[in-house]
Amino acid sequence: MAFTISALIFFASRLSPIDPINAMVPPDMAADSANLVQLREELGLNDHIILQYFHWLKDIMTGEFGYSLQSGQKISEILALRMPATLELVLSALILSTILALTLGLFAGAKRGGIADKLSRVFAVIGIAVPDFFIGLALLNVFAYRVEWLPTGNRIAPGQVTFWDRFPHLILPVATLTIAMLAVLIRYTRNSVLDTLNRDFVMTARSKGVPEWRVLYSHVFRNSLGPVMVILAFRLPLLVGGSILVETVFQWPGIGTTIIAAVSASDYPVIMVISMLIAMVILVASFLVDIVKSLLDPRVRLGGGK
Amino acid sequence: MSKKNHDQQSTTQIFISNFLHNPSGVIGLIIISTLMISAIFAVQISGVEPDYIDPINSRLGPSWDHLMGTDQLGRDMLSRILSGARQSIYIGVLASFLANLIGTVLGAIAGYLGGKIDTVVMRVSELVMTFPQLILVLIFVSLLGQGINNVIIVFALTGWMTTFRLVRGEFFSLREEAFVEADRAFGFSKPRIIFKHLLPNTMSPIVVAFTVNIAIFIIAEAGLSFLGLGVPVTTPTWGNLLTAAQNPVVVNEYWWLWVFPALSIATFVLGVNFVGDGLRDVLDPRHKSLITKNKWKKFLVGRFGSKK
Repeated sequence: MAFTISALIFFASRLSPIDPINAMVPPDMAADSANLVQLREELGLNDHIILQYFHWLKDIMTGEFGYSLQSGQKISEILALRMPATLELVLSALILSTILALTLGLFAGAKRGGIADKLSRVFAVIGIAVPDFFIGLALLNVFAYRVEWLPTGNRIAPGQVTFWDRFPHLILPVATLTIAMLAVLIRYTRNSVLDTLNRDFVMTARSKGVPEWRVLYSHVFRNSLGPVMVILAFRLPLLVGGSILVETVFQWPGIGTTIIAAVSASDYPVIMVISMLIAMVILVASFLVDIVKSLLDPRVRLGGGK
Repeated sequence: MSKKNHDQQSTTQIFISNFLHNPSGVIGLIIISTLMISAIFAVQISGVEPDYIDPINSRLGPSWDHLMGTDQLGRDMLSRILSGARQSIYIGVLASFLANLIGTVLGAIAGYLGGKIDTVVMRVSELVMTFPQLILVLIFVSLLGQGINNVIIVFALTGWMTTFRLVRGEFFSLREEAFVEADRAFGFSKPRIIFKHLLPNTMSPIVVAFTVNIAIFIIAEAGLSFLGLGVPVTTPTWGNLLTAAQNPVVVNEYWWLWVFPALSIATFVLGVNFVGDGLRDVLDPRHKSLITKNKWKKFLVGRFGSKK
């Protein structure tokens, strides 16, 4: 699988009409064609395309990601610089949105028409209809410009080092991403809880006289986690890819903004490496889904069932 | 409506009357058609051409002359938003149609034939689905270049999976039905069975997926153009109007430049989703029992829709 994806990514990038030499050499230096030919030879661009693919694959495997066409920097250096920012942002948003969505979804499902249910509907409408960067812009306008409580963007201001200096910068992007992620998650949790509530074992538990909160927590909640976990696992690739729009709105120096810069400049080595990484995370994520599912469902764990 | 009435009406009439008894569908339809009609008469409504530059009156807030203010070049925002609606809706509808076409054909073939083809297409769809959509779109855009038609193609290529899964699922259950067996006994060719006999039976999920996809693509276009990588800036689309908000000064002081385009996106997308919900209720046989005249009453009293 990983092999297929890498091949796809490689050959797709070679389909693009951009000649890497043109991107690397400024036009005024391109007049010296003898040097160009030599450069081409050194970079292995004259080799057969299949051979080039295996070269690239070997490099990727050994952690040799190559250089950015745009800045000439090592891609691994760019990633090392940008990755922590994206991880910080996406991980906080993932954790926060999961906790919020599970709580809201559980209560919304348990008591339909209650406050949690209404709240979750509001979030669902926002999540469906409003582009996520608009949430960011609105938050930015209110909290950063109108009341000036929070900084307008960037991860860190000059001269600030500790985590607590960085913390205010984190609030708005994380809030935006959390709201954007909430909608789908709440809906899934709610529907899943509703489905579970209708199952026989819930009635059994209730008729045994188990207190309602325990029914909800240890019977309903655990059994409705399955579909929610799948959604979560599908979001793991964001950890590497970052959220492009949110990062752009807040000028967050993460992978998302790196992708944008790379795409605008046709910096295809960078795009290839990042897509490769995302693909890897996807594979890991789908593996995780299977594991988590088996942990949650004793039938799968014991290898029984059908 | 009484039982007797039911027998006399054609299916279309039943469908229409059912739809009219569905509040969310009707409200959605009203929203969409209002926006579409005003988009057609964009110039007449706002009284100004969308490209008319008037530097003296630039960056005016909303007023009676310019209901939604003017932009950096003094162009009327209302006029631009309404003509942006044309482009955005065009992109959404066409891309959704193409995505559905791909999804339906693949889903029909994979679902009916099963086996190896099914496994391969299923794997591909899983892969495309898990890959963060925007990044995938960006990669494609970097390969194909910008432009309104490229955006549509890219959306179609990255958005067919939902339809594919729905159609495939339907075909899986339908292919065991007796009438399909009869078809096979008659010796009908596979394409004929798949497209002439089975496909019409899967129309309702396809129609619903079509509306949902329109909403998704319109939002995606907004995001893509906001980043400056979608439709070229010269064409006003809702997303391109939002590009102005890349500038912090605009976010801070000229709120009408980004709030109004975003609100029009939100309104239209909500409308499309409402219609989708309505269609789902009317078309899905499992929801049939829910269709009563009382729904409007229920709706007005405050309970919204029929969600479970």
